[in-house]
Amino acid sequence: MDRLIDLIPLPYTDAVVALGALVLGVVAGVLGVVAVLRERSLVGDALSHAALPGVCVAFLLTGVKEAGGLLAGAACAGIVAAVCIVLIERGGRIRSDAAIGVVLSSAFSLGIVLLTAISNRHDADQAGLERYLFGQAAGLSEHDVVVTGALGLAGLLLVAVGFRALKTALFDADYAAAAGLPVRALDVGMTALLVIAVVVGVRMVGAILMVAMLVSPAVAARQLTDRLSRLLPLAGVLGAAIGVAGALLSAREELPTGPTIVLVGFAVVVASIAFAPGRGVLWSAAQLRRDRRRALVESVLVDLATALEAGPPPTEAELCDLSPRPPRELRRGVRALDRAGLLGRDGDRLRLTEAGAAAARRQLARRDEWSLWLEHGWRLRLPDAREPDPRDLERSIGPEAMAELRALAR
Amino acid sequence: MTDLLVPPPALEVRRLTVSYGGRPVLWDVDASFPAGRLSAIVGPNGAGKSTLLKACLGLVPSDAGQALVLGEPARRALDRVAYVPQREAVDWDFPATVREVVEMGRYRSVGWLRRLRRADHEAVDEALERVGMAPFAKRQIGRLSGGQRQRVFLARALAQQAPVLLMDEPFAGVDARTEAALVELLLGLRADGRSIVVVHHDLGTVRRSFEWALVLNVRAIACGPVEEVLVPETLARAYGSAVGGDEDEELAWIA
Amino acid sequence: MSTADWQIMLTAALVATACGLLGPFLVLRRVALLGDAVSHAVLPGIVVVFLIFETRAPLPVIGGAAVFAVLCVLLIDALRSTGLVKADAAIGLVFPALFSLGVLGVQQWTANIHLDLDATIYGEIAFVPLQPWVIAGVELPRAAWELLVVVAADLLLVVALWKELKLTSFDPEFARTVRIAPALLSRVLLVAVAITAVTAFESVGAILVVTLLIVPAATARLLTDRLWATVALAVAVGWVSALGGYGVAVELDASIAGAMGLVAAVCFVVAFAGRRVLERRGSPA
Repeated sequence: MDRLIDLIPLPYTDAVVALGALVLGVVAGVLGVVAVLRERSLVGDALSHAALPGVCVAFLLTGVKEAGGLLAGAACAGIVAAVCIVLIERGGRIRSDAAIGVVLSSAFSLGIVLLTAISNRHDADQAGLERYLFGQAAGLSEHDVVVTGALGLAGLLLVAVGFRALKTALFDADYAAAAGLPVRALDVGMTALLVIAVVVGVRMVGAILMVAMLVSPAVAARQLTDRLSRLLPLAGVLGAAIGVAGALLSAREELPTGPTIVLVGFAVVVASIAFAPGRGVLWSAAQLRRDRRRALVESVLVDLATALEAGPPPTEAELCDLSPRPPRELRRGVRALDRAGLLGRDGDRLRLTEAGAAAARRQLARRDEWSLWLEHGWRLRLPDAREPDPRDLERSIGPEAMAELRALAR
Repeated sequence: MTDLLVPPPALEVRRLTVSYGGRPVLWDVDASFPAGRLSAIVGPNGAGKSTLLKACLGLVPSDAGQALVLGEPARRALDRVAYVPQREAVDWDFPATVREVVEMGRYRSVGWLRRLRRADHEAVDEALERVGMAPFAKRQIGRLSGGQRQRVFLARALAQQAPVLLMDEPFAGVDARTEAALVELLLGLRADGRSIVVVHHDLGTVRRSFEWALVLNVRAIACGPVEEVLVPETLARAYGSAVGGDEDEELAWIA
Repeated sequence: MSTADWQIMLTAALVATACGLLGPFLVLRRVALLGDAVSHAVLPGIVVVFLIFETRAPLPVIGGAAVFAVLCVLLIDALRSTGLVKADAAIGLVFPALFSLGVLGVQQWTANIHLDLDATIYGEIAFVPLQPWVIAGVELPRAAWELLVVVAADLLLVVALWKELKLTSFDPEFARTVRIAPALLSRVLLVAVAITAVTAFESVGAILVVTLLIVPAATARLLTDRLWATVALAVAVGWVSALGGYGVAVELDASIAGAMGLVAAVCFVVAFAGRRVLERRGSPA
């Protein structure tokens, strides 16, 4: 352990903090994935709040503030809390959110009572327990890191060993049960993993904010990968980065540890959601805008072409009346067509340019093709499970199928 | 055929297009349902039947097209339409009695912050009476059977006293006796002059009891009187047949 | 029982009343944990108002709380609507972040004023009688007066919007077809929760507010089938928790807020066990 700490290019206390935060980040990150994918993040919140009475009871029973004993208390309390939540939900009438809320607040009330009771009796000793409320990096000892590290390692090994079963159960519990997996045991196992994660992290981040440490790395990592086998280690890496950065920052600037780590985590999540390639908000918003604009332009083009065929070239106002689109959208479409050089104006009246007319013909042809598909497509046999795309039928079903469709229509 | 003496259709859609995730669920649908008639919307799964009703009510956004209720844009005529949704994710544990649920039908006309007046309570009583749930008025809704729950939702819609009634699969999961009773109920409402449009999956019932039908499968296949529309050709186009099978044989059970 | 004792119990009972009026709707709408989140989110509101306006007067602070409550809900909604984050994860991300902002603010910038961090968690109700106000010849703690106003406002809200709350909690989709917007009512409800939370903050702290919002309402759900009874029972259980909790705390010299939470929990357990026993015996529960 000493050699490990010597390797880190930081002063001793900072090195210990960094190691502790690393353990926290990796363990909470990886095990938190399980909670997030099962949509049970707030159960993690309840378990974290239950840690408070857990460590208090452990202290009262053993009289020592040694990390292992306290964390054992937190673990037991967590298990009791998890069981209570399930029992309440099974009792009927109370849904999961209220069940979690009842257990969370009751456990925490108990914790507050015990904490203040201890502080009234053992002034100096209690100072150690207060840390579990808001978290504190300062005062972290090597021993603390070793204990949490060992526990965390056990949790990670469990995940590695049960990976395939975990994957199936996470995705579809019913299927897993039908496939013969011991779903009950897996459920209990996953809750146990969550308890381990909470117990590892609650000393540094505090009971109130611990849930964010379970959720942030998992959510951020999810934006960057689709596969569980990559998601788990990635969440661990992100968690480690968030934890270490936050903890060191808090130690240097003398800020409370928990809030600092949480805010760093939140920033990372926001960044990943915004910028994730192919999934992120900015990317999808741009894509959505592109799609909407194209749909608008195509439909206005068709409206105009239809109007031109039916009678004299319309003014913009007349087109608004004829088209089922709301006027403001129609005007935007007209402007876009104008910009794209597909539309021309003769004074007041609108007409299509050559390019516009060609584009309109293509659009109408596509619509006819789609109507053809809807009328006769059910009679067609497609070679595989391909699905027709109304925007480009020929490309999606293939030229042979297209030819067959046309033949059927005749 | 603009005959000014003919009342406007209860419900009319023009070129209605609704997509979800880039795929059209309804495509250029033109349909009209005459006033004062019992009409059905039929079609296979995924045909967009529920979506049609929801798009008319503005519950889902439409890409193109219009919906008209009694001749006016649906958006502005919502007080003339009552909607009975599919029995979805309502919390049956909710602490409300049958009567309280039916009262919810009056909230729109009562408005925000105001209490229900005597006329409202009378409308509620009438609606309960009509569906046969008056003896159960004080019961909590969780303690009802499937058919009874359906009647409660129907009563809620009746309490709205709207001339047009839109119902989404009201007979799903209901036993045959209740279904027959509900159909009779609907016929009675129609006799009172209401217009009713029902999404329904059972072609047999539609053929027996309904007067007008829209056959829908993303597009409007046919819309008109039941005898004209529920014929093998249109049904084949809507429901399709198994790939490469003998069409006549497979459709024999429908016709 | 001294005057101070009565005043403390009155203050606690007022908190319980306000929470008991709103809590049942949170539970019925299955957003109990949103109430939890919003109560935590008011902390930065208090800090920001103090930093900008250098005041802890009730009205600006309530304004700040309302703003942050709405911000909390909007952020959660925004995360959810990206489609990339589920609802529970969104809650687990947003309220800790906002609460962290508050904690940092308290530590860094308000260390010199009377805004102790622990107090934000469990309040300092014992100090409440130390700040009396006299209004219309009646002397009550400032906190009690403020809470009286909040209780009146919550009562007004619940009574005036009774049928709208009932409808949107029961069947939000139908509500939309009759032009009563469920989202609007949710926001109103959560803002009311935030205002209640911030007003109760200094007397009982964030955790007890959440406890009194959720636990009595859950208890009431177990005991009755009628909505008005659910609300009435939630208030009643809240009173039992507040008054009983104070008694226990005085006897055992324990945290007052914590004791109140524990008594509420005991009420819940009793109701839960009672229901199970009745169900086993087969009587219509």
